[in-house]
Amino acid sequence: METSGEVRFNRNVLLAVDDSENARRAIGYVGFMLGGLEGFRVTLLHVISVPEEDYFARAEEKEKWLDGYRRKIESLLEDYRRELITAGVPDEAVETRLPQRHCPSIAECILLELDRTEYGTIVVGRQGLSRKEEFLFGSVSSKIVGHARNCTVWVVA
Amino acid sequence: MNGAFSREDIHEMASRWMARPPEASALRIVTDTSDFFRLETGDVLLLGGKPYLMRSSVREARFGLDDEVKHWVKRAIDLVTGQMKIVKLVFYEQFTATIGGIVFECFRSPRKEARILELVNEHPNFMHGLTVPDDHGNLVRVMDYIYGDSLAGRVADIDQDHEAYFFETLPGLMANYLDCVEAVRFLHEHGEKHGDIRRDHILIDADSGHYRWIDFDYNYRHRENIYGYDLFGLGNVLVYMVGKGDVLLPDLRLRDPGVLARLVDEDLNIVFHNRVANLKKVFPYIPDSLNRVLLHFSRGANWFYEHTTQLIQDLQQAVAEIR
Repeated sequence: METSGEVRFNRNVLLAVDDSENARRAIGYVGFMLGGLEGFRVTLLHVISVPEEDYFARAEEKEKWLDGYRRKIESLLEDYRRELITAGVPDEAVETRLPQRHCPSIAECILLELDRTEYGTIVVGRQGLSRKEEFLFGSVSSKIVGHARNCTVWVVA
Repeated sequence: MNGAFSREDIHEMASRWMARPPEASALRIVTDTSDFFRLETGDVLLLGGKPYLMRSSVREARFGLDDEVKHWVKRAIDLVTGQMKIVKLVFYEQFTATIGGIVFECFRSPRKEARILELVNEHPNFMHGLTVPDDHGNLVRVMDYIYGDSLAGRVADIDQDHEAYFFETLPGLMANYLDCVEAVRFLHEHGEKHGDIRRDHILIDADSGHYRWIDFDYNYRHRENIYGYDLFGLGNVLVYMVGKGDVLLPDLRLRDPGVLARLVDEDLNIVFHNRVANLKKVFPYIPDSLNRVLLHFSRGANWFYEHTTQLIQDLQQAVAEIR
């Protein structure tokens, strides 16, 4: 950990991903930037946003949904992990996290992960939403940029 | 009455409301609503020991389409009190909706509506009712019938030109609309969405005069902004009220081509590109404070409401100016 004035820097990178094209671009970018460099630690994060109870007619449907979703994302994170390793990030420097949360806001759930651990940098892909999509449903990357504190945010467009 | 009614009791009570009552033995008394299609007009639904005589299913107007019959929503008579009720039976559905080309996931949840009914039990700006499980655990909601127009119908029926409407009628409507936005804030503060905010989902109670939200069983899978879709609905209702109806480009083309020529893309509704949101360009006497609120729902907006509190603060100032 190094400090510069009040700000504490480190080489821990939190890479928040999903199954979108922009997440894939963020993986490519991080691999390009950090591949072959030493001293970094990259955590691939996907927060499983548990649907509201109302979403399911019966409780067992929720378990089935979560099980299927978790398996899909575990496989995705493994693909991303391999991609980073292929780009030159050391095997032991890449880990994955797949917490399950009730998330009124995905961005806030991601930032909560940031608060719980020591990351100096957070990386997200920009969703490339239209204005009306952003109006109706909001933008995760915009909110992260607006709310992140004591860290650096990379937004890969 | 203790609620333990015999078939003969129920038949006698139901017969008072029927032109041609069946024989007591032929009266269908239903305690399981799992298949709501089987519950027909003239049947008696026994819920928690209380009999309700089923009337017709409710129809809901869909814009530009024929009315949709909601087979799971029925008018009914509470045979103990004689009051009209709305009975909503359990209907789960998941579907994708498309609005302005944006696809999102929606679902209908009796549990959500039951929870909200309990939450808004004493709130004057919501429909009221009870949730009673039937014999098979289906959460049947029994709502008080609200006599009165919808906000959509009320505005559509006003026989004034826009300027007279704006200065004489709208201030009163807006004060009530503000109560409705406050009511949605109440939901949001309790972690609930309305889910289906539309101008025909506000009923104007003929008895109390209160504007009351109805139909809370809809929900949508939110993404980043949990309440964005509710706020979009509130904006649409507001623009409709201020415009005394939707101000549509095809109508302007026929009625006022000069105004149409002054409009730019940024003046249009952010989602529905055939509706005007910048209404000051059509009705120049609209004060800036109110028009600024409308512009937050336009294509030219560079900042969107994320919370009802923000909308309420802006609206309070705007409403004060037009009073």
